[in-house]
Amino acid sequence: MKFIKRHLSIIFPLMAILLGLEFFIAFDRTTKQYEKSLQDEYSMLIVSKDEMSIDDITAWDKHIIKIEDINKSEIIGKINQAMEVNSTTDAKIKSAIPNFYAAKIDKYLDTTELQKIKTNLLKNPQISRVETFDSVYKSNYGLFSFIKFSFRTFIIFMSIIGFFLIIKQMEVWNYIHAQRMRVMEIFGAPLLFRSKVLIRVAIIDAIIASFITSFVFWYLQYIVIANGNITILDENIGSVFSVGDIFILLFTSLFIALTAVLIVVMNIKEE
Amino acid sequence: MSDVIVANNLTLAYQNGEDIIKDATFSIQRGDFVFITGLSGSGKSTLLKSIYGNLKPKNGSLKVGGLDMSNIFKPQLQQLRTNLGIVFQDYKLINEWTVEENVVLPLMIAGYSKEIQATQARRLLHHVKLSGKESKYPLELSGGEQQRVGVARALSKNPLMILADEPTGNLDEYSSNVIWDLMENACDQLKTTIVVVTHKIPNIFNIPYRHFMIENKAIYEVH
Repeated sequence: MKFIKRHLSIIFPLMAILLGLEFFIAFDRTTKQYEKSLQDEYSMLIVSKDEMSIDDITAWDKHIIKIEDINKSEIIGKINQAMEVNSTTDAKIKSAIPNFYAAKIDKYLDTTELQKIKTNLLKNPQISRVETFDSVYKSNYGLFSFIKFSFRTFIIFMSIIGFFLIIKQMEVWNYIHAQRMRVMEIFGAPLLFRSKVLIRVAIIDAIIASFITSFVFWYLQYIVIANGNITILDENIGSVFSVGDIFILLFTSLFIALTAVLIVVMNIKEE
Repeated sequence: MSDVIVANNLTLAYQNGEDIIKDATFSIQRGDFVFITGLSGSGKSTLLKSIYGNLKPKNGSLKVGGLDMSNIFKPQLQQLRTNLGIVFQDYKLINEWTVEENVVLPLMIAGYSKEIQATQARRLLHHVKLSGKESKYPLELSGGEQQRVGVARALSKNPLMILADEPTGNLDEYSSNVIWDLMENACDQLKTTIVVVTHKIPNIFNIPYRHFMIENKAIYEVH
């Protein structure tokens, strides 16, 4: 019982930090994918008097990466059908109707930045109107930013609690191991020998914590999400957890545990 | 005989800077059995601490095994300590280790094999009359028994020198006699240098010894 308690008291805080870290990595990866899809689906409308090329537009704002010409003849065709116009009127309509472009942006931007793009583009005298479709974009962006912020706050709190628990555990280690280390030092034991027991505990617990965390995420990816019909994650299921994450978790876990050991050992001074 | 400890105008001080031993000059040779006596708070234990490198001299010089204790590096100090056996009045045993593990601590540090450790532990525990208590823990033993474990630990690596701080301070006569016998034998047969801080020299002592006394911050050789 004492043995299990001794190990759990470091495994739990390590896991809190590792879960926080892996949630962060997974969330960042999945939201990047989601941001990309939102960005791909989004385009702003540019209306110009004359025909324009992509270079004409990027000269006014670098965020525009692609423009698609919205076919004028389709619009004219619809007008002709509705109004039953003759060929003279048709030519007049053709010359009167401006050019329409759907513009894609380089990344997922907030509405203030969209407004900046709009202002920049309107400086071009050829551009008569820019429609950013703010309201739809704003609701998507607002909800998405709120989820992102809440999740990151939760992760930060979880990690802080994990760190506090590790500090507490360092105090416990100091209490348990100080006497033995001091006696060993009196008899000439080098630092590595004195801290051997603690290093062993730290390495074992760090490995256990990182593998449990990896398993939790593997389970989330292949069991919970795979069967859960979570729309936002369905398309990005592979970005929740990857094998490379095991090494990130293991390295982080070992780094934290061994740093804690080193601090404890260095702080134990001979009486 | 070669000098093992040499002090020249040695001054030792408390952490607050107040001198406790001033301008002491003495030397101890290999195979000497030395008693250091003095009143409580006279600086006996402080002198012992400075010999095993727990306290640096304030002034003057102190050489132990040829090493200058004022400018000793950590690895040198560790090396020196592996050649010392130290006995404390409060035993300083590792309570979560068995008696056997405590006894062989210096052998573990030196990297001796498990077989040698076990043989040496059995031999020493027999000498300190604790055979059969190998797997007990220190807190399961009496004070006298714990101190005998401490002495066995000090002797386990056949050190060049044993430093003992009030080794029989609170012990019964039987345990005290066992400890003195062991120390006499180590000094007589293995030529181990032994420095014992005590408030009382035993009435019956079977080998020649030297007696230093600390009084008014000075060290005198009285015997």
